[in-house]
Amino acid sequence: MTKGTRRSAWRRVLEPFQVFLIDAGLIGLGILMVELLVIAFSGRRSPTGFLLPAEEILDLLHYGRAALGAALAALVWGRAEGGVAISPGAALIRGVDAAGPPWTRTLRGWFSFLLAEATFFTGWLVTEVQLMQFLTQFDKAQDMIRGLLNPSSAVLHQGLVLLVQTIFLAFMATAFAIPIAFVIAFMAARNLTRGTFWSRSLYTLTRTVMNLTRAVEPLVWALIFISWVGIGPFAGVLALWLHSIAALTKLYSEQIENIDTGPVDAITATGGSMLQVMRYGVVPQVIPPFLSFTIYRWDINVRMSTIIGFVGGGGIGYILKPRVDLGQWGEVGTLVLLIAGTVWAMDILSAKIREKIV
Amino acid sequence: MSENNIAIRVEHVTTIFPGPVRALDDVSLEVERGEFLVVIGLSGSGKSTLLRCINRLQDPTEGRIWIFGEEMTGAKGDQLRKLRASIGMIFQQFNLVKRHSVMTNVLSGALSRTSLFRSLTMRFSPDEVRRAQACLDRVGLGDRGGSRADALSGGQQQRVAVARALMQDPKLFLADEPVASLDPALRHSVMRHLEVLNREEGLTVVCALHDVDLIQRYATRLIGLRDGRLVYEGEPQGFNAHTFKEIYGEEAEVASGLAWT
Repeated sequence: MTKGTRRSAWRRVLEPFQVFLIDAGLIGLGILMVELLVIAFSGRRSPTGFLLPAEEILDLLHYGRAALGAALAALVWGRAEGGVAISPGAALIRGVDAAGPPWTRTLRGWFSFLLAEATFFTGWLVTEVQLMQFLTQFDKAQDMIRGLLNPSSAVLHQGLVLLVQTIFLAFMATAFAIPIAFVIAFMAARNLTRGTFWSRSLYTLTRTVMNLTRAVEPLVWALIFISWVGIGPFAGVLALWLHSIAALTKLYSEQIENIDTGPVDAITATGGSMLQVMRYGVVPQVIPPFLSFTIYRWDINVRMSTIIGFVGGGGIGYILKPRVDLGQWGEVGTLVLLIAGTVWAMDILSAKIREKIV
Repeated sequence: MSENNIAIRVEHVTTIFPGPVRALDDVSLEVERGEFLVVIGLSGSGKSTLLRCINRLQDPTEGRIWIFGEEMTGAKGDQLRKLRASIGMIFQQFNLVKRHSVMTNVLSGALSRTSLFRSLTMRFSPDEVRRAQACLDRVGLGDRGGSRADALSGGQQQRVAVARALMQDPKLFLADEPVASLDPALRHSVMRHLEVLNREEGLTVVCALHDVDLIQRYATRLIGLRDGRLVYEGEPQGFNAHTFKEIYGEEAEVASGLAWT
């Protein structure tokens, strides 16, 4: 009883801050995007006479003033009462009456609509969408595409050898990741870590570490491990291994969170210990999805190891990169076909295996 | 009533779920050895919570519970597991491990007396296997030990769950709406096993039931819960249309064909 009230007391204290942060963020975003659109369409030119490119406009924006304005506006708007004038932050955090007025008749409805429009046009400008080039300049890529469609046999032998290395590289990374992810997943599953303060802390810690590990691209891990163990496939194994642990932990723990609690209750009721409950109540339920996710992960690792080879992590990517740089499109075509064939075969294989076990 | 004749003693138990919802509100009761106590009430009236508090699948917020003189509330670790092992429980959804064989499911009733290594590698002693076979024989499924649990029908699965509970060699049996998800024609096939355990072996049974027609056949005593409060206590014979409305509310109606008018 005390726990519940304490939590809601905290929420009452936090709420105004959450509302303010959301409102200020959205308003600030709106102000900046409007300013960007105004500059872009005012036709301002650089000293050399060209229209300003996106990154220069982004440089010109008044971020400080926008933040100040947004904060002031959010303070005012956050106080608004009633279904029509209520701010987006308040609506998100405190909730709104589902039977309230339609969005066309609320302030936050129109604000959100305009924000979405502004986001689209800003995105168009910032990513420098050039429809004309896309539609009229296909001939510039013709050489390359012709090369890709006429694969040369010069690199076939070496490509096949390195393809085998790529598959094993992905396999080793996956295999080493399984036992570690399997153990960590139990610590990262919400439904198994509700008990004590320590188990909740363990959950938060594992989740945080795994999310950070997963957030770093395998390419970056590869660079780190290349300087650690040297150029070669082992650096690639380590990079994919680390990333796979994080990814598998997430997938595994989500499966653990989705289990039927019935068998867990039943085994607990027989007087089983915590580990016995895991072994009999949890593990049998998660084995099929675990297997299926693991095979899927191997599949992903084969594709990723190609990119990791680009920077020296071994595998087929290692010989692909220089041929791309030199524009040897025929040889690039051969290697791309080898990779595509492998990915296609693994896709079929993993689908078949998953079909059998689930 | 002498003290060692009491199987379960529940004193002022209150259970509050986040919300907050008072699932149980100051419930006190005593169950004698050998009773077949049936708990009735609407869904959400606290029947399950009461049963789950008895073997501590759910911790009561307040109050105390004793099982055969030993305090259940406050028990920890090995002590709690030993007490749980003396209480068999079956559930509405059977809660078998679907991918395991029927035999393994029954054997899991012996986990509390199996070493950690043997249980993690799932190698039970020949003695336990023989006992599990005997338990399966008792529920009439002696030849199904090798089947996968989910290959069996609902009624058979619930009988496997009974065998798993028997494997614990329990002194007390909790049944949380054991036949609610079974075909009406199969309900007695499960209830009869509980009856035999109760009448012939003197096992105390606490059973939550929904169907009023099963009550008179099996119960030796009846309690009714409404909004977490104990609102009725008496013999199944004294249960009539009036008390029915008291427990289930004015809107409820006794199903046709019943003799309580």
